[in-house]
Amino acid sequence: MKFEKITLEKKYHDAVEHWRRHYLKDYDTLLESWEKYFPQDEPFCLCAKLEVGMPDTVPVGDHAGEKKRLAPDQLTEEEAKHLLAIIRAQASTEFGSIQQHAGTLERAQDDEDRFWVLRVMAEELRHGYQMFHLLLSQDWTHVSGGVKGEEMVEEILSMQTGSHVLDAFNLEYDSFVDNIVFAALIDRVGKYQLTMQKACAYKPMADSMPPMLREEAFHLAAGVIPMRRWARRAAEGNPLISMAMIQKSINKWFARGLEMFGDERGGESNVRMGFKDMKNRQAQDLYIEEVRRMVRDINARFLRARFPEYAPDRVEQVVDEMERSRTAHRGVEFEELLRLPDRRFFRRKGEPAFSMVGFEDESFTEPEVYLRHIAKHLPEAYLASRDLKNYAEVLRQVAGGQLSVAEGIMKMPKLKRVGGNCPCSRAVRWVMEEPATPGSGRPAA
Amino acid sequence: MPETTTGIRVRPLDELDIGGIVRIDERIGGVYRPDFWESRVMYYLRRDPQSSQVAEADGRIVGFMLADVRAGEFGLEEPSGWIERFGIDPDYRGRDLGRALFNAIAAHFRELGATRIRTLAVQSDAVVGFLTRLGFEPAPLVALEMRVPAGGQESR
Repeated sequence: MKFEKITLEKKYHDAVEHWRRHYLKDYDTLLESWEKYFPQDEPFCLCAKLEVGMPDTVPVGDHAGEKKRLAPDQLTEEEAKHLLAIIRAQASTEFGSIQQHAGTLERAQDDEDRFWVLRVMAEELRHGYQMFHLLLSQDWTHVSGGVKGEEMVEEILSMQTGSHVLDAFNLEYDSFVDNIVFAALIDRVGKYQLTMQKACAYKPMADSMPPMLREEAFHLAAGVIPMRRWARRAAEGNPLISMAMIQKSINKWFARGLEMFGDERGGESNVRMGFKDMKNRQAQDLYIEEVRRMVRDINARFLRARFPEYAPDRVEQVVDEMERSRTAHRGVEFEELLRLPDRRFFRRKGEPAFSMVGFEDESFTEPEVYLRHIAKHLPEAYLASRDLKNYAEVLRQVAGGQLSVAEGIMKMPKLKRVGGNCPCSRAVRWVMEEPATPGSGRPAA
Repeated sequence: MPETTTGIRVRPLDELDIGGIVRIDERIGGVYRPDFWESRVMYYLRRDPQSSQVAEADGRIVGFMLADVRAGEFGLEEPSGWIERFGIDPDYRGRDLGRALFNAIAAHFRELGATRIRTLAVQSDAVVGFLTRLGFEPAPLVALEMRVPAGGQESR
């Protein structure tokens, strides 16, 4: 765990500091309270960290066994373009998630939860900073259409919720439940992406991953542990949190998380170019199994809180029984347990985009019936959102044959508030559209 | 990932291991302590997820060892690996899982530049035998303790 710390050139460092004054207003409070909530941990450092001692050779793809590339001009033009899109998308997610967290952070019921999320936000800021280091430390102009690093930074810092590269970062949070479920589900996609990118044929990218991954482990715990505690409170009858609230938030984010892997049929180019070591579906399958484990863990916590006299094995047995029979157990309804939606539920990108598959694999043919079905499974506050309105419109058009599925995918997301209202943002001059066809997996915060 | 006895995998700790650790602890000590373990696991994940390891059999956690590297405490300037807690599911004892967990952690400590591994144990505890077999020996440091003096009985 030896790494080199790098600070960006002052004007860029100051730009990030300026940005965080708008979107991470409690940053100073976090630093002042660091010792209280994170005793013995290294103080937070707004810097890029490059792991020392990482492998020098490319482990996968067409260049397997060759020396890792140290500069973009050592990559082919196609490779450099592809990698630049990955870095740019990654940077967008890091800053995007901070904007999302900021909206509902203050609603946390527990100070500890709030400070955990604050630390997550600060570390996402560092991850964005890390991506800026990758954009600024080398010349990418030969593959960016002449756009300089400075302009890319400006573009990313001007993005708002609604104009980020990936859908998951364009959804606003409805409550603090979203802060927690997002950390547990969407940061988990981030873990997969970072893990795959440890193999990256571009060495500065690969070397960036281990420090980010160590921080990501905390982010996942900052999601799962509050969920476990909420499950206990829900089981004890606390009226301020319920399993249904958690479930609806899972339903909101799970589909977006799956789409962050990229189209299920794609990812070949990432592996061929040596940027990642798994294709999209392969990584997505592992992710789904991991989320299933998480859901089971939280259900076990819930049942044990309801039946404290049960031995651990008995709890496991009851979870199995309830999942198999879908019946109640001593007053606990099956529906009270968390469940994983079908991987095709509420999808608008990827292989099952707009396929109208229900929460439990039901098939729908009428968009209005399907919309009523998903509305039943999503958080109430989310239903009135512009995002869902847009989704409904596109779904109707796809179902009615006015749009092909591919065209429908291109319509998502529709919110493009480029330019934004932050005083540090200006009109976006450069937007690299992501292909909607089967292709690359995308990174995550 | 290192493999030990057939079908058992040793890997770094993650946040989904809490339930498994709680279960082992309850089987050993008879007390259900999820809040305590949530807090401890969060601490170790925050510090360095690879410094703590779990053993997994058929998707189930059957052993764990929580540790981290610290420096500057008790006048010990050099980075030291500290092992705080470990436990093996009673059904999986006798398979050298403790050693496998320790070896994985020791390898990581080595990468981090630690030159000593330290822990504290109750002298009469059976665990001392296990630690001795791993290579631990009594340290020149002495663990000292006392009750907090009652008000008006400050130490002179």
